[in-house]
Amino acid sequence: MKVPYEWLNEFVVLDVDPYELASRLTMRGFEVEAVEEYKPYLGGVCVGEVVKIDIHPNAKNLTVCKVRTEKEEFPIVCGAKNVKEGDKVPLAMVGSTLGGRFIIEKKEIRGIESLGMLCSEKELGLSDDHSGIFILPAEMKPGTKLEEMAGLRDFVFDINVPPNRGDCLSVYGIAREVGSILNQRAKLPMFKLNYSSDDEVKSLISLAINDTHACPRYVLRMITGVSMVSAPFWMKQRIQKCGMRPINAVVDVTNYVMLELGQPLHAFDYHSLKEKRIEVRVAEGDSVFKTLDGEDRGLVRGDILICDGSGPVAIAGIMGGENSEITDKTKDIALESAFFNPLFIRQTARRIGIRSEASMRFEKGIDLDSVDFAAERAIYLMNLTAGGSVVKGKQEIYEKKSGKSIFVSFGKIIDILGTPVEHNAIISSLRSVDLHVVKEEETGFVISIPNFRHDLDEYADIIEEVARIYGYDRIPATTPANASHSQKREKSGIFFKNAKDYFTACGFYELINFAFFSLKDIENFAISASDDRFLAVPIMNPISKDYEVMRTFIAPNILKAVAYNLNRGARNLRFFEMGKVFYAGHDTMPREYPSICLAMTGKEKDYFWRDACPEYDFFDIKGVLEGFETRFKVKFDFVKSNEPFLKEGRSADVLMERMKIGWVGEIEDNILSIYNIEQKVYCAELRFDIIMQKSITDIQYKAIPRYPQVTRDFAFLVEDTVPVTTMLEQIKTISPLITSIGVFDMFKKETKSIALRVVFQSYEETLTDETVNALQEIIIQKVAGIPGVKLRT
Amino acid sequence: MNIDELRNRVESEISSLKTLEDLKRVKASLLGRKGLFSEYLDTLKLLDKEEKKVFGKEINSLKAHTEARLKELEFFYIDDEKRKQDALSKIDITMPGKTPLLGKKHPITQTFEEIIRIFTSLGFSVAEGPDIEQEYYNFEALNIPKDHPARDMQDTFYVKPGVVLRTHTSPVQIRTMESQLPPVKIIAPGSVYRCDNDISHTPMFHQVEGLMVDKRIRFSDLKGVLSIFVHEIFGENTPLRFRPSYFPFTEPSAEVDIGCVICQGDGCRVCKETGWLEILGSGMVHPQVLRTVGYDPEEVTGFAFGMGVERIAMLKFGIDDIRQFYYNDIRFLSQF
Repeated sequence: MKVPYEWLNEFVVLDVDPYELASRLTMRGFEVEAVEEYKPYLGGVCVGEVVKIDIHPNAKNLTVCKVRTEKEEFPIVCGAKNVKEGDKVPLAMVGSTLGGRFIIEKKEIRGIESLGMLCSEKELGLSDDHSGIFILPAEMKPGTKLEEMAGLRDFVFDINVPPNRGDCLSVYGIAREVGSILNQRAKLPMFKLNYSSDDEVKSLISLAINDTHACPRYVLRMITGVSMVSAPFWMKQRIQKCGMRPINAVVDVTNYVMLELGQPLHAFDYHSLKEKRIEVRVAEGDSVFKTLDGEDRGLVRGDILICDGSGPVAIAGIMGGENSEITDKTKDIALESAFFNPLFIRQTARRIGIRSEASMRFEKGIDLDSVDFAAERAIYLMNLTAGGSVVKGKQEIYEKKSGKSIFVSFGKIIDILGTPVEHNAIISSLRSVDLHVVKEEETGFVISIPNFRHDLDEYADIIEEVARIYGYDRIPATTPANASHSQKREKSGIFFKNAKDYFTACGFYELINFAFFSLKDIENFAISASDDRFLAVPIMNPISKDYEVMRTFIAPNILKAVAYNLNRGARNLRFFEMGKVFYAGHDTMPREYPSICLAMTGKEKDYFWRDACPEYDFFDIKGVLEGFETRFKVKFDFVKSNEPFLKEGRSADVLMERMKIGWVGEIEDNILSIYNIEQKVYCAELRFDIIMQKSITDIQYKAIPRYPQVTRDFAFLVEDTVPVTTMLEQIKTISPLITSIGVFDMFKKETKSIALRVVFQSYEETLTDETVNALQEIIIQKVAGIPGVKLRT
Repeated sequence: MNIDELRNRVESEISSLKTLEDLKRVKASLLGRKGLFSEYLDTLKLLDKEEKKVFGKEINSLKAHTEARLKELEFFYIDDEKRKQDALSKIDITMPGKTPLLGKKHPITQTFEEIIRIFTSLGFSVAEGPDIEQEYYNFEALNIPKDHPARDMQDTFYVKPGVVLRTHTSPVQIRTMESQLPPVKIIAPGSVYRCDNDISHTPMFHQVEGLMVDKRIRFSDLKGVLSIFVHEIFGENTPLRFRPSYFPFTEPSAEVDIGCVICQGDGCRVCKETGWLEILGSGMVHPQVLRTVGYDPEEVTGFAFGMGVERIAMLKFGIDDIRQFYYNDIRFLSQF
């Protein structure tokens, strides 16, 4: 809501700096997001009175005006048609500068000397109006500097009105708050209607409401014989400062009063109303209606319609119809001021997608009590600006509502705020925003809620009012009395953090991707339609096709990040992401669980002067997972994988206790090429929830052995068909004295040769040669007994 | 027998020493089995008993002395030799070393961890809830009725009627209170979603929710706890203020602003010339919310707060575009 300081000043006495006021409003809950300064550049422009107008002797489209300032008279050649003798106009004298750049000079125009220029609003930088010379209020004294004209220099507050404070979507509403801040009472505008017509509204138009729940109050007032002129400058200025566009005096008045008092109004062309009747009704079926912007709008059951004798003339509170709108020829006006049920308006506005200044106010709830006051105010202003005769009386239907009242205890206020606010301070705070105590009791008081406050329902709301007015900054900062609870340690959260620490320690950068992807991403990974990963949760209203479903795995997103970085010149990347993936359930809520995804491509570094840096291969990424096993005491098994997006023979499924929990390997070239990646990428993705469940978090100390260990090396010739893991598993079973087995060499001549290092360790004695030799024999026997394995001699 | 002659020969041999090699040779020629001292000692047998005793003593004393001197010289020459060898294998210490691979956590994670650290040190525990949430938990239970503007399709992602991607972490408040009795003292970090995608909005972002409910929790406690938090995360001298605001699920509600970290309060583009930056929303839990979960607002009260993690990270690190967090550009990620 934009609020001009100068307008606010009409309701309260603003003896306060605008910026100071802005910060005090902010601290009251009305955040002033910006203070816009209006400083039109009017140096050298003063008020002139047109004394005489003559036709230019050499050009019949021009006139020569004699314009008087305080002491002198100047001849000014002018092309505008709207100037009359006696008018007060802005005179830019010779030497003045308009808009900071355009210098006025003495000029001869078609043989007549012109000593200055009469200006339009646009030329003065006041508005876009260039239709004629800006006619100033008659009471302005010739010779006065135009800068001194009221309302030109101003500060406009852009206020973020809280969504529950519809009552402050008006200058007067804000003035009420300002009044409370400055210890004043905001004054309503004063005016008196001048009934100059003998007609009565009641005899000119009839009114009916078929649902007072939808519309508890509706007022019609009339004015006849208005002229369709432009609104006066001050009114247009204010409307513009509030962000609306002036149209003509009649329409502008309806907007002006809405901005001033918060009551949206609608003006009908009286003669276009069939049977001279207005009926407010709630639509019972579907129909189509053309609104004044020329659009056909579908209406449905539940929309509130304003109808005349033949059908709808407006969608209540949202937009009028083309069939009854004010035109240039309109003379007689029927003015609607009403209260429409916010829920109805909101539903209709949302459905047809219109959020107008009017509907926004109706949706939040306006002041039921001031509906007619606003109508009177508008008729008065129309009469003032567009002439015509005010028709006596009004048509009105008014379902009165009894005011709400709320009991609040003093103790509760003090308990909740945590500071002993005095009872008197509480009462006077509330009084300053029109919340009056109707009954005082020993422990508390009953307060009556005015009809414009739709946000106050229970004691907590009143406590907020007290706190707001008393000042949040006067409430101390304390520590909670019951501060110490035993704190639950979330195992999962800690495990998550430790895992992230592990991967960063391994040189991986963490990514965060949106949790969406597209079905195309699943297809890109060549995943079969029966795979669970197709059970993606769809978004009903996605922002784009790329984000149409919730992701079922992270790999496509991480691959996109790899591509993004490779395209920008990176060559070596190690990424991980830990985040949720989502699976649709039938009839149930979707399942979601954390997943961990890794990607590596390129090599450790481009070069290091001392050593060679080989390209990453399968064993680099597998090693990261094996390191994870050691770090978190989990056991993974790696078996051949059938994942369609991984290279056969360079990939593995990862199992825990024989259950598949993920995969690791090299991504297929054709999938990489979909993402425009031209180098090898190794990825892994694992179900983090299962790892978490199975990880052993309790660590038990094991005594450090007191006896030396013995190491023996073995070399075997191994056929390609035999996986090394079979040999290792075989050795492990031989004796508990075997504490570690490692592969320390692998080379291939005719057959593959694998060298193993076995460590023997006893906790009870120093191992003798005989013991170790015996075990060595068994190892050779068992391993060489595997088909395809021979001892190398 | 001429002891002086022996002494002179020993003296001249030792003083002619120049290298470790010389030393080894001289040692052999003097102290070896066929060395000079052996020679002299051998000739002792030719002397009578008295002379034997006198000369023997002198020779042995000279021998011991010589041994000691040679040992000393040996140490000297060995050290000297080592120094020469070290000089030969000298390295250029200005050559680049081999850095270990570095990985870093995403700045959002770093910010999360910092926030969690502060609140757990204040005795809050960490709670979680689903990202795909029932409308009831996301809205109704939080006192956001059906006709509230926040329910509009343009803000909320729907998965199916009645099921949404949570638009805030506040549903965790409800889930936690439903599952336990007071006292409650939790924070709930997590991802949240809104249908927005422009320079200042991403469709997914992160929040940390906080909730404390117990007997006699006051608005002043909210101020106390959040002041501690702000001073921990932004520095002890950061000015802050509590400003009335509106949230459907708190009453009274307060927005927390900190003095602009960019201009120190003078007014700049980031703080829209106000000198203040909004960093979190908070308030006393609405009695209606307490009733909804079966708590008695006459018995217990509480406060709740919620903050945008991106917002805090942007202010802490001086990031001006929220979308930077989600490009996953290594040149961005490596800076934190």
